[in-house]
Amino acid sequence: MNGGASSREQILERIQRATPGAAASAAALAEDYGALPRAYVRAGRLDADACVELMVHRLREYDAEVVECAAEELPGTIAAQLAASGRRSFVAPPGVPAEWLAAGFDWRIDHGLTAAEIEAAEGVVTAAFCGVADSGTIVLHHSASEGRRVLTLLPDWHLCILRASQVVETLPEYFGRAAGNQGSGDEKAGTRDLGTEGLGNCGHETGRLPRLVTWISGPSATADIEMTRIKGVHGPRFLHVIVVKDRKLGTQGPATQGLSVQ
Amino acid sequence: MAVSAAADRPILDPARARPFPEAALPVLRDPQLRKNVAHAIDVIQGKRARLVAEKADWQALRASASRIKDVALQNLGAYLEEFEARCTAAGGVVHWAADASEARRIILDVLRAEKATEVIKIKTMTSAEIELNPFLEAAGIRAHETDLAEIILQLGEGEPSHIVVPALHVNRSQVREIFARRMGIEDLPDDPEALTAAARRVLRAKFLSVPTAISGANFLIAETGSVVVVESEGNGRMCLTLPRTLITLAGIEKVLPRFRDLEVMLQVLARSATGERMNPYTSLWTGVTAGDGPERFHVVLLDNGRSGILARERERQTLRCIRCAACMNACPVYRQTGGHAYGSVYPGPIGAILTPQLQGLRHAQSLPYASSLCGACYEVCPVKINIPEVLIDLRAQVTDQERQRARRFFDPLYLGLRVAHLVFARAWLFHAAQCLGRVGLRPFTRKDGWIHALPGVGAKWTETRDLRGLPQQTFHAWWAERAKGAK
Repeated sequence: MNGGASSREQILERIQRATPGAAASAAALAEDYGALPRAYVRAGRLDADACVELMVHRLREYDAEVVECAAEELPGTIAAQLAASGRRSFVAPPGVPAEWLAAGFDWRIDHGLTAAEIEAAEGVVTAAFCGVADSGTIVLHHSASEGRRVLTLLPDWHLCILRASQVVETLPEYFGRAAGNQGSGDEKAGTRDLGTEGLGNCGHETGRLPRLVTWISGPSATADIEMTRIKGVHGPRFLHVIVVKDRKLGTQGPATQGLSVQ
Repeated sequence: MAVSAAADRPILDPARARPFPEAALPVLRDPQLRKNVAHAIDVIQGKRARLVAEKADWQALRASASRIKDVALQNLGAYLEEFEARCTAAGGVVHWAADASEARRIILDVLRAEKATEVIKIKTMTSAEIELNPFLEAAGIRAHETDLAEIILQLGEGEPSHIVVPALHVNRSQVREIFARRMGIEDLPDDPEALTAAARRVLRAKFLSVPTAISGANFLIAETGSVVVVESEGNGRMCLTLPRTLITLAGIEKVLPRFRDLEVMLQVLARSATGERMNPYTSLWTGVTAGDGPERFHVVLLDNGRSGILARERERQTLRCIRCAACMNACPVYRQTGGHAYGSVYPGPIGAILTPQLQGLRHAQSLPYASSLCGACYEVCPVKINIPEVLIDLRAQVTDQERQRARRFFDPLYLGLRVAHLVFARAWLFHAAQCLGRVGLRPFTRKDGWIHALPGVGAKWTETRDLRGLPQQTFHAWWAERAKGAK
């Protein structure tokens, strides 16, 4: 852009003059960064059951509808949720398993749907990358089963399928998983096969940071008028979550919970 | 209604705004406005206090958050270059703007290249700082604000009075009046639900049709070249995903070293800002992604006085700010005056230190004094900005600046201070002054030992509070007498 280069040099030069203490090399910078204090809670303290319970509790506090089911009950549970919604036309990302697309509803799979087509749908069904119990947050990395960003935005009703093994207690535990510095916990629990076969794979490559992330904590909301919380301004007004008990709960101690990374 | 009368419109340009004590008067005389502000602040404060209390590691999070920002600022040049390289590699275009006018020009150039006639916007205080909307308007490009509070202000021709809840000074019946008039809806009830639904209907069409958007940024991630926007309504997600072209305007201080630093920032930001464990939506994106979101993405990195703040050791902490507004919610002065009195888009304690510095202390010199130095802002700040410390330092700078002006030599205040300096430095003069004071004040001292009214300049004190009369004996005299008696 015109004049951009000179302003760039000018700003960087001003910054350089303003920061005589800046690290002289990449190694020194890494050392500065490595010395940062991180005394906050990183690894959760709850066992797997309590962690999922907290996740459900937090989601309900946000007015999200939550149901729990066993892995084999999932297709039936999805169908029941869709029926109870009173809606007919749904969109879904291309990566979701075929058995999620319950019969008796109008499905459009997002192989490049236009915004108007997505807008016309009454609801959307997707998988998720992770759930953070502490804040009741659902994290999407927008893989093939989680859908493009716009897919979970325009329809007024979002049904999100979350596996219990995807639920971590703390936000730092999510960041550990996202960085791929540790297993998702599934391998240790031996439930990976179960997870991928019927529940959709998040498609995340380990060791690489996500390019797109959306953290969702409850339905869209505003408190701009007299601090009164109103649900659903522009995003979906209704968030439904099915928590799939894909690991045998009650048998895992905190040791198999995601530990935070260093 | 006051909001629509142009003459009453608050001035948020520090170069033109009146000094804080004058600008605060209209609010102090408007009980409705004060009620609106106090209500909003009480609600947020209560929620924040509850959620911070449940976080046992709150102080550790604050310590990490402030140090992460320190390391980022200390090495700002390296991290900005890293951000630029990664963002560019991911398909973004990075621009550098030394000041507001350059940023406006860059944005206009991009919009012209897109042949844009209108643009949708996510709430960004940085764009208000560079006065982008009126500039685009003059260039024939209509900017549509999409955040509910910003719509209220844009349609009502009002000005933001808070950085997180910009329309907190407007109540529901005022919003109803603005929407009914500007959206042409006759029978609009005044409950927030109906008002929000009205905004949703009007904006949906804009989101689906306007091909260019402008956003701010909460964080830039050097490690990945990603941008993060934190919001509640979903208007942000709309602007970030639906248009063909996205322009992000970000202050250079927004950069964080690594992706994982968000594990700290996202924990402290929503709790401090809105009293939520997490805000409804946080979006992160990296350059452009085929098939998902805009095809073209521009980032404008704005200096506009920030590198000057960076250069000053004590003031540098100002740049740690993550714009959560906890300081204004906690501030006893803001609570009384609301945001407009600060004459800047950044009100409250953070505004009192940020605005004069962004102006190179050429304007807004009254703001460092718009504080009782009680320290409540420092206590709640999630990145531990010692605002009182910076305020005091800025006061010293303002004073130094004033002293250098010749006309200040005969100013009564400076004259008085010079005399005081003369007297306090010499014991005999000090004792003489005490004697004089005792005798001089005696006629005004009532039987209860208090002075209730003084004439002249002294009235400035006694108009609002009483003054204790000088005791008839100084401590020195009493001590000397006591020692004599003991002998």
